[in-house]
Amino acid sequence: MAGSALKRLMAEYKQLTLNPPEGIIAGPINEDNFFEWEALIMGPKDTLFDGGVFPARLTFPPDYPLSPPKMRFTCELFHPNIYPDGRVCISILHAPGDDPMGYETSAERWSPVQSVEKILLSVVSMLAEPNDESAANVDAAKKWREDRKQFEEIAKATVRKSLGL
Amino acid sequence: MRSLMLSGLSFALTAAVIGNAYYQKKQFYPSVVYITKSNPSMAVIYIQAFVFVILMGKLLRKIFFGQLRAAEMEHLIERSWYAVTETCLAFTVFRDDFSPRFVALFTLLLFLKCFHWLAEDRVDFMERSPVISFLFHVRVWSLLIFLGLLDMYFVNHAYYSTLLKGPTVQLVFGFEYAILLTVVAMTFIKYVLHTIDLQNENPWDNKAVYLLYTELFMGFTRVVLYICFMIIMIKVHTFPLFAIRPMYLAIRSFKKALHDVIMSRRAIRNMNTLYPNATEEELASGDNVCIICREEMTTSCKKLPCNHIFHTSCLRSWFQRQQTCPTCRLDSTTCLEDIRTDGLSNRELLNTLTLTRTQLSKHRLARIRSLPSLFTSLFCCVTGGQPSAAPSTTGPPTSTSTPAASPSAGAAAATPPYPFVPSMPMFMPFGFPPPPSNLSGLSEEELRTMEGSERANVEARIQWLRDIQALLDGAMVLIGQYNQVAASMGFNEWNPGSTSFPRGTASTKYRHKHSDRCTHLEAAPPRQCGPKEHYQTRYSQFFCECVIYHFSGLEGATGFTAPREMEVPEWEDPREEEHEDEMHEVRRRRLQRFSQDHPSGNTDNLDLD
Repeated sequence: MAGSALKRLMAEYKQLTLNPPEGIIAGPINEDNFFEWEALIMGPKDTLFDGGVFPARLTFPPDYPLSPPKMRFTCELFHPNIYPDGRVCISILHAPGDDPMGYETSAERWSPVQSVEKILLSVVSMLAEPNDESAANVDAAKKWREDRKQFEEIAKATVRKSLGL
Repeated sequence: MRSLMLSGLSFALTAAVIGNAYYQKKQFYPSVVYITKSNPSMAVIYIQAFVFVILMGKLLRKIFFGQLRAAEMEHLIERSWYAVTETCLAFTVFRDDFSPRFVALFTLLLFLKCFHWLAEDRVDFMERSPVISFLFHVRVWSLLIFLGLLDMYFVNHAYYSTLLKGPTVQLVFGFEYAILLTVVAMTFIKYVLHTIDLQNENPWDNKAVYLLYTELFMGFTRVVLYICFMIIMIKVHTFPLFAIRPMYLAIRSFKKALHDVIMSRRAIRNMNTLYPNATEEELASGDNVCIICREEMTTSCKKLPCNHIFHTSCLRSWFQRQQTCPTCRLDSTTCLEDIRTDGLSNRELLNTLTLTRTQLSKHRLARIRSLPSLFTSLFCCVTGGQPSAAPSTTGPPTSTSTPAASPSAGAAAATPPYPFVPSMPMFMPFGFPPPPSNLSGLSEEELRTMEGSERANVEARIQWLRDIQALLDGAMVLIGQYNQVAASMGFNEWNPGSTSFPRGTASTKYRHKHSDRCTHLEAAPPRQCGPKEHYQTRYSQFFCECVIYHFSGLEGATGFTAPREMEVPEWEDPREEEHEDEMHEVRRRRLQRFSQDHPSGNTDNLDLD
């Protein structure tokens, strides 16, 4: 029998395929390696990113689900909680030990209860409601806070770009 | 494509150089001499050799690994850069030995290192892929044997060459290959463990532990090797700058392995001692999917104090990282350790926890709220007195009760039971907020937060209840003994109000039917009165102190307030009047013996009979 991490990832893949949440598609890039996933996230309705489809890559550690996976968008996304290089900054992706922003309680951090589905759903809600208190992309946070109009324009441009228009 | 062009160019250049030499000299030996004498020709030959080495490497890679995965390639390139830098640093140390042979040896070392890393990555990949082909096993086996043999050969070679020629650059190679040998050993052990795991139908719980110990052992070996290498290098040559980074990495990984092993041992110990195994019904009752691995739980599951059930192995690996419940993040060790420091054994602790759990799962809040009041009333019944509510910050010292509780069994059994008046309803209105009448109205979150705080309260209360129980035992012994002494002396009740109390409990009132007998006590001859009055005072003092301690301690519990005004049930001992005459004689004899045996009134020896 295979390792527990692999089994759990296979179970999650099955769950996500049989019962996909709205606006999310995710699965291993190559079924030989279940530790590299690709996810497609649709911008939530009636938000700035409405209509966009954003590809992201999830990398799972060998000791998943004890450690969180890493997630990074492979497209350009101007958002306060996404680093300029595409890495996603949400608290449930942080291992309980480290605290990059220094303000999260351990209750918000990663635990084996979380899953790919929950991560992706949190990312969707993060797209809908940026949190400018702990900005990963300071420029985006500043725009979001001070110049909402321009932020909206950039977001719309991102959406168009993500659709290949 | 570019590499193909480069190697083609290199081949063409070599062909040109050799062709040119042969064209000029027409014979084999003169052309060789010509090429070796000409620097540009030699450069071309060296480049060609390098190309050959790379092609050889590619061929071997094809044989042993097939197509490299992207992650492996990335890993390889990243590590190669460090290795190349370190090799260059090593060249500076051994610049005197610099020769083509020396460079060739270092290149070979670099190549072998690359193969070791790839082998490591491949074996790690076993855990990640659902399909492991037969070819994979063949490749790993042959590769590991090949690498192991080469490493051993080079270590051997370095050893003998050092013995014969003294310390040269071979020393470095010897150590490098020895380190690589540990890598091979580690990879092989990992491979064996993964293979065994793959053969089994069920997940192999202990694999992680074996892996940890292997890593610890190999880490230790590596650290020792590096330290030896450092010492020898400093003695023979100079400080080996090129070995600093790998040594630091080795020490760090050893430290991590050590930490992991310690944490894992702690987790295992905690799990074995603190948490009960989940029973069949508990597994069957709820959703029996382990939240960590998303597998069904059938055997060997542990239940945490917060009622969450997990696989033992999953929980162990999680506890290795964090000591909280994965589901509700209740810090499961701290509250347990608090109780343990109070001198309870693990067995007792388990019982307490089981008790807590069953109570929690039944009528959670209602039960919890009524518990302290029930015990309060019980306690008041036993003492027949009103507990003083003197506020005190000191907790109840458990040790106070132990000497008194020890002789309890015999004495308590000998004393007939007192006619307790159950007066529980009387105390119910005091201090306790009524339990919420309808829990269904609360949301899931509200219930959960309520559970969290209630659990802490229950734990505090149970701890106090244990103390109360011990003190109650002690009190029972004291009452029994007092009664016996009192009965034998002809007065059967005492009035604590007449003696001085150290803790300001003068307001305490005891009503008693036979209080007039106290006058009899005062009229008694002083020789007889001395010791018994002493005892009486000591008993009542101790008794009241117990009471004070208890209720001051309980004041701390959330939601608990000690009852302040209470009706004291009246009671009497019916024996005294019936046997008064008979006892008079006994009492006189005892008092005589008493004054002989205990002229100082030593209270430690309470067992007068």
